[in-house]
Amino acid sequence: MRRIATLLWQVAIGLGALAIWEWGWALHDRLPWLVPDLLDPYFVSKPSAIFQQFLGMSCLVGRDGTWSFATDGAFAKCMGRSDNNLWIATWFTLKNTLWGFLTGVSSGFVLGLLLGRSDRLSEIFYPYITAFNSVPRIALAPIIILAFGIGDASKIVTAWLVVVFLVFFNTFEGARSVDRDHINAARLLGASEWQVTRTVIVPSTMAWLFASLSPAISFSLIGVIVGEFIGAEHGIGRMIIEAEARGEAAGMMVAVFVLMIAGVILSALVRRVQAYLLRWRPAQQLSA
Amino acid sequence: MASIPPEAAAARCRIEIDKLRKGFLASGNEGDREVVAVDDASFRINDGEFVALLGPSGCGKSTILNMVATLIAPSGGAIKVDGAPVTFGKPERHVGYVFQKDTLFPWRTVEDNIGYALELAGVPSGERRGRVAEAIHQAGLDGFARFYPASLSGGMRQRVSLMRTLIANPEILLMDEPFGALDTHTKLDMHSVLLDLWERQRQTVLFVTHDLGEALTLADRIILLSARPGRVKQDFRVDFARPRDAVALRETRQYAELFSRIWHSLGEEFTKSRNA
Ligand SMILES: Nc1ncnc2c1ncn2[C@@H]1O[C@H](COP(=O)(O)OP(=O)(O)O)[C@@H](O)[C@H]1O
Ligand SMILES: [Mg+2]
Repeated sequence: MRRIATLLWQVAIGLGALAIWEWGWALHDRLPWLVPDLLDPYFVSKPSAIFQQFLGMSCLVGRDGTWSFATDGAFAKCMGRSDNNLWIATWFTLKNTLWGFLTGVSSGFVLGLLLGRSDRLSEIFYPYITAFNSVPRIALAPIIILAFGIGDASKIVTAWLVVVFLVFFNTFEGARSVDRDHINAARLLGASEWQVTRTVIVPSTMAWLFASLSPAISFSLIGVIVGEFIGAEHGIGRMIIEAEARGEAAGMMVAVFVLMIAGVILSALVRRVQAYLLRWRPAQQLSA
Repeated sequence: MASIPPEAAAARCRIEIDKLRKGFLASGNEGDREVVAVDDASFRINDGEFVALLGPSGCGKSTILNMVATLIAPSGGAIKVDGAPVTFGKPERHVGYVFQKDTLFPWRTVEDNIGYALELAGVPSGERRGRVAEAIHQAGLDGFARFYPASLSGGMRQRVSLMRTLIANPEILLMDEPFGALDTHTKLDMHSVLLDLWERQRQTVLFVTHDLGEALTLADRIILLSARPGRVKQDFRVDFARPRDAVALRETRQYAELFSRIWHSLGEEFTKSRNA
């Protein structure tokens, strides 16, 4: 019962918001005190216009307003017209997000493990890590574009930079808190130093790494988009900047919606992977 | 070496502890102070003996066991295993240890926990699977091979711990209150399991406990430690017939007699440790 009520509320709120967005502006002249200026379609467009724009941008509907798949080759022709259409842009953004995520997670894990298990190394690097950590990583994006050009590399490096610290700190914390008794138990069962690392330290640190995967994928997407804002040949970020330059609110909104959907799908995938990898944890800890 | 008398060879000494001492540095508001946990403890354990180390909490039982296991370094005295002095941080291959705390690897299933030592030793997976399956059966854990420790009861987890240690066939077994956290019923259950397993191999066992009933049920000898600093107060022989029935034994007269004899002596140490 409660779940159904919740669902009804959620649908009602969503539809209500869409309705206000769609028709609210019509009341602006009569009731200016009720309808804020922000609802001006020039800034935020309208759901119907955004949907129309989406059909056009995704080449599903041609310029003449007919379905592309009704005419032979119309879809391919539309796709060929721009090298940054919605599909290509989404592909580039997702690809770079994944690369940033993978490189950030793996290097962050290795660094965290090394420094977390070596008091000497963490002592030496401590001031540099705190210094770097207090720089907002995004502030480095323009420098990275300058250094790596406007291609994919600069987006991956930007995403890597935001992900690596997050994963590093989590792994570092995890590597420091490996249970001494687990290490002793392994030693007494005959494990060598290397075997202790491989069979105890790495797996118990992994649990901390996994906890950082969800934020890491979101951070990676942010890093890529910011990189694309500053300079890119392809990508959703570039689409947003171009639409803005043309004063095309609907175009920006389409891109934002695509990002929202991509974000939801990526997080859901990561959470599935995380739940599988942490299946040994007691149930109540999983949700935490 | 040629002139070892036959009875000495039969009763080969496996663990020899001589004037063992351990002081911990405890920092308080009056500066650092040495807390002596174990002082001048000496005893020997022969091959195949099941010895219980009994004493009130905090009297240094774990400390002694951990020194034998090379987990902590003694401040004085000597420990010899099979005649050779042990080195801190270098556990002997044929010595197994069962912890008081649950130290199963939570990310490994029951079968992977039990097979851990074999995996380390590079035992081929076919042979490993066979031995693990047998161990699971011996411990009465059939059907739980693929479970993770988090989903097992305390008693089951302790069985897994036991098998994880026993699968490597250690000749000497060190156990630190392995059933301390279990309820009375599960504990009795575990006594039967342990006695059963021990009858097959007759390992040399040093079993730490503060539970007199447990010591009487399991051991051939009970070494009673004094309150902190731990030293050997008395050494009792427990010659109940084997194989023993952990439950039926408790109803015998011999059990009651020995119980009350040791109980009095143990009680003095409990009082001392409470007033310390
Ligand atoms: N690492 C340590 N640092 C300081 N004191 C310790 C340490 N380990 C044990 N002790 C002290 O030594 C005494 C004996 O401890 P322990 O061997 O664990 O007792 P038991 O196992 O008999 O309950 C206790 O008083 C305890 O507080
Ligand atoms: Mg103890």
